[in-house]
Formats: sequence, structure tokens, C-alpha cells
Amino acid sequence: MALLDVQDLVVRFRTHDGTIHAVNGVSFELEAGETLGLVGESGCGKSVTNLAIMRLLPKPAGRIEGGRVLFDGLDVLAMSESEVRDLRGKEIAMIFQDPMTSLNPVLTIEEQIVETIRAHRRMSMADARKQTIQLLEMVGIPGPEDRLKSFPHQFSGGMRQRVMIAMALALEPKLLVADEPTTALDVTIQAQVLDLLGRLTTEGGTALIIITHDLGVVAGMTQRINVMYAGFIVETAPTDELFARPSHPYTVGLLHSIPKVTEREDEELIPIEGRPPDMREAPVGCPFAARCAWRLEQCWTENPVLRPLDAGARLVTTGPKATHRIACHNPPTADEAHEGRPLRAGFRAAPAPAGRIDELAMAVEAGT
Amino acid sequence: MTIVARTARPIEARVSRGLWSDASRRLLRNKPALVGLVLIVTFIGVAFLAPLVAPYGPYEQRVGGSLEPPGAAHLFGTDLLGRDMFSRVLFGAQISLQVGVIAVLMALTMGGIIGSLAGGLGGRVDSVLMRTVDVLLAIPGILLAIGIIAWLGRGMLQLMLAIAITYAPIFARLLRGSLLALRESDYVIAARALGASRARLLARHMLPNALTPLIVQATLILATAIIDIAGLGFLGLGPPDPRTPEWGTMLVDARRFLQTAPHIVFFVGGAIVVSAIGFNLLGDGLRESLDPRLKR
Repeated sequence: MALLDVQDLVVRFRTHDGTIHAVNGVSFELEAGETLGLVGESGCGKSVTNLAIMRLLPKPAGRIEGGRVLFDGLDVLAMSESEVRDLRGKEIAMIFQDPMTSLNPVLTIEEQIVETIRAHRRMSMADARKQTIQLLEMVGIPGPEDRLKSFPHQFSGGMRQRVMIAMALALEPKLLVADEPTTALDVTIQAQVLDLLGRLTTEGGTALIIITHDLGVVAGMTQRINVMYAGFIVETAPTDELFARPSHPYTVGLLHSIPKVTEREDEELIPIEGRPPDMREAPVGCPFAARCAWRLEQCWTENPVLRPLDAGARLVTTGPKATHRIACHNPPTADEAHEGRPLRAGFRAAPAPAGRIDELAMAVEAGT
Repeated sequence: MTIVARTARPIEARVSRGLWSDASRRLLRNKPALVGLVLIVTFIGVAFLAPLVAPYGPYEQRVGGSLEPPGAAHLFGTDLLGRDMFSRVLFGAQISLQVGVIAVLMALTMGGIIGSLAGGLGGRVDSVLMRTVDVLLAIPGILLAIGIIAWLGRGMLQLMLAIAITYAPIFARLLRGSLLALRESDYVIAARALGASRARLLARHMLPNALTPLIVQATLILATAIIDIAGLGFLGLGPPDPRTPEWGTMLVDARRFLQTAPHIVFFVGGAIVVSAIGFNLLGDGLRESLDPRLKR
């Protein structure tokens, strides 16, 4: 049984502007100790997915409108508030993007970590303090005894993220969710923090989900990657496989829009034209159709489901041997993926169907 | 040579010593706030030491010494009954401070409870409480206080309660606003994600961070409260005993002799003005020094 089993998760936000279709039926599984990257651009639903798993969606706007989340066999969505609270911190912990604002400014580091420990475990002050020192040592904060009484503002950004990691790992959770853990940090610190995260979760056998918009962050870290777009998972594969054989037009686009230092000089960056779809409209057809150079007629009307890339492959949903799956009617060939554009003779992306005035589509048309 | 001398000098890093010591250091560098602080310390000192410092008792009358101008014997002169005005102003400070501080603390407690409930629980509780607060806020402060005293009757406790109810809505609003902002703040969400309970979130993570504006507002409201107490006293709604050395009540008596003995009005009015200015300056200074964004 998988540690985490998310099936057909649907999350919507009711706002004054209408309903935001944030997550539109996401399914994935995670084995104990596995590392998973969740990649996509801002607003694609990657953070919302994880907030929903922890039942931390902002109330009353955010609602889980469908699906199932099983953690360790327990139905998270059916739990009472106090049961979820037990889960948080002890079983699933989370690290947030901005270490500058994720620590309480009026409490010392000691108070915050000790409090987290004692919220879930019966432990004396002295023992909790001892454990806090060990934790700080573990995440590489020099002279932890002397830093206990420090306030968050007396730490640098990288150090604060280390403190956050110490807090998150204090109760040895089975799953750690890191939401853009390095985005707010210096490039030089980023690698250190990622390294630390990877090392500690491996040592402790903690499963790790890294949410990021940066494929570079997850490249060397995760066993598996889910690429998300507009509230859907559009491609999922073991990390090496994904980089070796990117197969969804969106993944191909992502890879071609990252400058590579090692590539030849005339390597062209191919931006993904247009913008993500308006999440206020219920999705019709493939969400990426308007920006896709490979789209067919049916892409406008029919949303492809996640299917194994190699037809007939046995479906494995977790682990390093997971089946490479994509949601696409017309996947790019290996050569096309390499070039970043369709190469088939005479192929043109299908125009938007009549009646659908889509500026984005027209922009893409004009560009090709 | 000079270069060597300079580099050899030990560099002392300016270490931050926590919110309060930082704040007090900034406060002491702020000139107007310092003036306010001096005024308030004097005011509080006078209030506490009145029985020791005052040359006469507040009720001590002297036949034949009516309406004397200020002089060596009576620093602020005397009133109609020959009572020493200096002593009465000092004892008045005691009353103003006592009533003012207790009333503001009561307001802070009431407002704090309402604000925490509204901001902490949200939803329907929030709507009901806040609409009530809106109604109270719509009534001019002094009018509300007059109404409450008319309803409860005259007396020291009633006076405090009237002032407290008048200002509680301001604190409730302020606290609720801060709590709402804090509820969405990263560290509160982070604490929730680590399994902190709702009560703990409120008590440990949200309230301490919402305290600063409340402290500032309480100081500023103390100034207004002192003026309101005097105002109610002036309207005859102050302490039930008309002999009480309450500044507002004293003004009523003094008003009749505005032309013959203006010194009474001058000194009593001056005391009210100076203490109000003191709390205002201090409040503004606190706001600046407690706000980390204004950190220099």
C-alpha cells in the first residue's frame, strides 16, 4: 500500500470573480521514503494540491470538491479537525517558500521548536530542549546551544530555512512537503539547502515532495517527477526518464525555455507562447491546446487522459520504475522534442474551432 | 600609522537585543517621545506621591483665604473655599490616572476578548460581533458615555465603565484586523502545518504579534480618556461627591470666577492639556519605535 494515495482530487475556490478551477482531478501515489518532484508554473495547482492533502486550504473560499486522499491507509478528507491536527507535524510536515516570514518573529528559535515537539509528544522541557539542540546541529547550525535564545531576525535566510527544516523533521514525519524550499534563497545557499533536505530525508526514510517551478531544482534530487499544468498532471515519469525523453509538449516547452550553459552557443531558447488558461472557466479540451504547437482538432474539445507512453506497458505508479505517462493526443516524437518544434512535413497546429475566439491561440498562429 | 590605528580598533557589532530593548533604544532617541515620557513620568509620579508632596490636603478649607492668586503660600492660588489649588491639582492627577488607566485596561480587556473571538473564530461570530461594534462606533464617544452614566447612575465605577465601553470597540476592531492579517501570514500557516491547535495559534502566534498596535492605541486613548473624564466631570457626571478633586468637576466651580480668579481655570485646564499631550507624544513615539519597518 502506498504511503500517500491521491485519487481524482478536485479543488475549487469560490471567489467574488467566480469559481477558480485550481485542481481538476489529480491522481498520484507515493511510496514510503520516495522522493517526488511536482513541477509547473505559478498557479498550476501544485501548491494547492499539497495544501489540500494537509487540509490547509484557506477557508471558506477553498473547497475540496471531489476525490480521495489516503495517507497510510487513512482517509484524510474524512478526518475530524483534531485528527488532522495530529497528522500535521507528526506524520506530514511542510516547509514553506519564504523562510523570512515563516518563523514567528516574537518567539525564540528554542520556543518554536520545543513547542512543535511538545505539541505532539509528552516530553519534559529539558528533553525537548536537548532534542532541539540535536536538531539544530543536524541541520548544520553552528553553536546550537548559543543560538537557542536567538530570534528569527538574527538569522540569515539560509539559516532560517535550516531552522524550518529542523522544525519540520523534529517529529520524524513520514512525509515532508517542501513548497519551493529554495526560491527565496541565494543561489549559493540553494544547493546547500537542497543537499541537506535530500540527505536528511534519505537518512530518516522520510518521503519527500518538492514543489517547484524550476526543473533544475528537482533534476538531481527526486526519483520521480509530476509535471502539472492548469490543475492537471500532464506528464509523470522517473526523473532520468523525463529528462531523457520529455514527451508532453508542455514539458518539452519547459525544457526548451531553460538556458543551458553546456549546450552549443547557438542553442535557441524557445519560449512557450501565450499564457495559462483562465482558471475561472471550467476546462474544455486539453488545457494546453491554446499554447501548443502540436495540437490537433480534437485537442480543442477532448481532454486527453494520462496514458502510458509505451502502449501496453504494465502500469507502475510509484518508485524508480514507474511507468512514463502523458496526457496528450499528439505527443512530439523524440526528434521533435529535441528540436522543440513539430518537424512533420506539412503539419500545422489545428486552428481554434469556430465560435471560440481565443486570443492566445491567434497569437500562437501568428507566431508560427 | 593612522591606518594601522584604525584597523586595530575593535569593531563592535551592533547586536539586536530583542524587540523591547530595541524599541526602548529607539524611543529614547526620539525627541518628542522623550518629552512625552518625561511628562508622563512626572504625571504618574505626582499622582502617586500626591499625599506626600501636596502642602495641604485636598479637602482642607481655610476661612478668609478665598480665591487667593498664586503666591508663595499657595503655588496655584486657592479656590472659593480657600482650598489650595496646587494640592487639589496633584490629587486630581491621582484620580485622572486611576480612572483613566483602569478604564482603558477594562476597554482593552473587553475589546481584546471581542476582537479575539471575532478574529479567531471568524464566520458568523465575527459578523455578529463586528456589526455590534460598528453600531457602538457610530455613536459619538462622549454621547455614549453620557448615556451609559444616565443608565447606570453616577459613581466612580460607572464612570470607568462608561469610558471603557466607549473605547472597547476601537480595540476590538484593531485586534480583529491584526488577527485577520496574521491568520494568513506565513508563520501562522507554517505553525498550523506543524500541527499547532487553534488555541495555541491564537495565544502563542497571533496575539503576541497583534499586541504592538494595541499598546500604542491604549496610550493614545489614555490621552482622550483623561479629557473625557474631565468632560464628564464638567457636565456633572463625574464622581458623585462634588468635593472630589477631579479636574473636570474643579473646572465647573472655577468657571464662575473666570474673570475674578482666572488662575484656577488656567492651572486645572493646563494640567488636563499637559497630561493629554504627554500621552499623545508618548503614544506616537511608541508607534514609531515599535514598528520594525521604521527601524533605523
